[in-house]
Amino acid sequence: MTAKSLIVVDDVAKEYTRGSERIAVLSGVDLEIAAADFVALIGPSGSGKTTLLNLIAGLDRPTRGRVFFDGLEISKLDETRLARWRTNAVGFVFQFFHLIPVLTAYENVELPLLLLNLSVRRRREQVLRVLDLVGLSHRLRHRPGQLSGGEQQRVGIARALVTDPKLIVADEPTGDLDSVKSVEILDLLQSLQQGLNKTILLVTHDPVAAARARRVLRIDKGVLVEDRNDPPNRVFSRDPQGSELSALSCGPRLNETLHDE
Amino acid sequence: MKFFVLILKNLRRNKLRTILTALAVTVMVTICAEMMTIIFWVHKHVQTQASQSKLLVSERWVAPSCIPARYLSLLTHQEGVEDWTLWDLYTGFLDASRQRSRQGFGLATRPDNLIRMHAGLEKLDPAAVEALKREKTGAILSADIMRQMSWQIGQQFTVLSSSHPNKDLRFKIVGVLPPGEYTRNFFFRSDYFEEGTGNKETITCVWLRLRDAETAHRVAARIQEQFQRRQPELKVETESAGVARFVNREQAILSIIELVVSILVIDMVIVLSNSISVATRERKVEMAVLKVLGFEPLAIMVLVIGEAMLIGAISGLAGTALAWLISTLAVRDFLPAARATRIFFTFPIGAEMILWGTLIGALVGFAGSVVPAWNARKVKVSDVFAKIA
Repeated sequence: MTAKSLIVVDDVAKEYTRGSERIAVLSGVDLEIAAADFVALIGPSGSGKTTLLNLIAGLDRPTRGRVFFDGLEISKLDETRLARWRTNAVGFVFQFFHLIPVLTAYENVELPLLLLNLSVRRRREQVLRVLDLVGLSHRLRHRPGQLSGGEQQRVGIARALVTDPKLIVADEPTGDLDSVKSVEILDLLQSLQQGLNKTILLVTHDPVAAARARRVLRIDKGVLVEDRNDPPNRVFSRDPQGSELSALSCGPRLNETLHDE
Repeated sequence: MKFFVLILKNLRRNKLRTILTALAVTVMVTICAEMMTIIFWVHKHVQTQASQSKLLVSERWVAPSCIPARYLSLLTHQEGVEDWTLWDLYTGFLDASRQRSRQGFGLATRPDNLIRMHAGLEKLDPAAVEALKREKTGAILSADIMRQMSWQIGQQFTVLSSSHPNKDLRFKIVGVLPPGEYTRNFFFRSDYFEEGTGNKETITCVWLRLRDAETAHRVAARIQEQFQRRQPELKVETESAGVARFVNREQAILSIIELVVSILVIDMVIVLSNSISVATRERKVEMAVLKVLGFEPLAIMVLVIGEAMLIGAISGLAGTALAWLISTLAVRDFLPAARATRIFFTFPIGAEMILWGTLIGALVGFAGSVVPAWNARKVKVSDVFAKIA
């Protein structure tokens, strides 16, 4: 384990049981991911990439091996402690957005903050900040059904960011978007990674999306078959947030607001 | 409390289902409230009467009772008797049609302790009693009779007597009885009864109020013994015994009511459970998302149970409020059709029942949502997302 590693996956295997049959999805995966890195996890369907993502994000436990996050062995935590850990440590971005349809954009983003001991005023400040960050300050009171796919995904990203986690995991975040919106979302993720020093783990089928990452991991049949360090092919196709990006780098960090409660 | 908005908004997700579920529970709560009120009323009445320690003395073996007036002094001077009154029954028709529906049952009694000695007259206007003391021909009538005959206070009327032939009496209305206990009765002065009917020899029955229940039993035994070998013989029973006799006779009906209430409560639990189960099944992915975001299994349960308890509480509130409204209107004669049923609605529902209804509704919601909430807490995130993908 290197000193700068945020995530360490140590000889992890995962098996599922279907009837009497045991299916090995991951076998002996070893992996380290540095803090503030942008990693793409690619591979064919059924290769085990979502399973690996679930293990790293604390959504599942390995059959064998250990997973560490920032020195904490999360593969040992029980469900309740894992839930608490996820609130603070990981932000999730889904392919199908998974916003709560009856809540407004504001309320959707506020959801994870309800689990923290924050005042209403602090919650409001935090939600407004991240919604501003993703360019949706003008859509606070809109429900998901009143937003476009791209806007919904921005709300999803804002929700992932709102607790100021160190890791953002994004499972096919552009899978349900057209090419223009996909580019916008990838730009946004890339800018967040650079502006806020977030570690991003992106699971994708899309080579264009994977090309945004600094590091690309290819997984096949439950085994890591390729680990390539590449500079991103471009930083931004365009600046999606204008002046707000500058504000990201020089303004107060999100965690300064959250962790001094 | 932070989850309240989420719970509230979840209820608005499928408005039709929420409204139908709430309506079903509301109707059941209304029926339950009416039925429970009957049970409560009977039990409360037995307890109240038992605590009043009153004795009813009447003639044994003969109905209607006819006690010699000379017994009165012997009865009322028994040791331990704190107060007493008498009844002389005087029945007749309230108009010339002589229809049974227009019969009235007069009770000739002492006006000075009318309120103290009669359960159910606590809310009688003291001014009416004062008027009865002043006006020898005065009568205080039930609200039912007043409404039926369209009479007003101050008006005079004649009773065409069926209990005392050719002794029709003319009365002046001086007050109205509070609703509830006495529906076809009117009270008037016993001295007017004696004068009008010429009957000074007998009385129908005597009420004695004793210090306490123990004294009541002792005095009852003493009277039984004293009057055992006299002619006519007397019968003494506590008022609670009279009510208890009624309760025993109606016990089967009360048991059926209790059974129906229990079935309705189980029905409510099933209706709510079904509705919440469908809702949580539909939102399985959302539950998984909430878990991903960090909601602990207990928090997921709180959301599901909170939703059901909110529907239950709102329905309970609406149901009992509706029952209270109907009952209040019926008792006050605004709903003659409801009152005509006689079984329901004539038992007044207290405002505190609304609080109980809300609480019971919430508890029904809790009971109905425990299983769906337990299933929701067990949602496995990786399974749900694997199915979507």
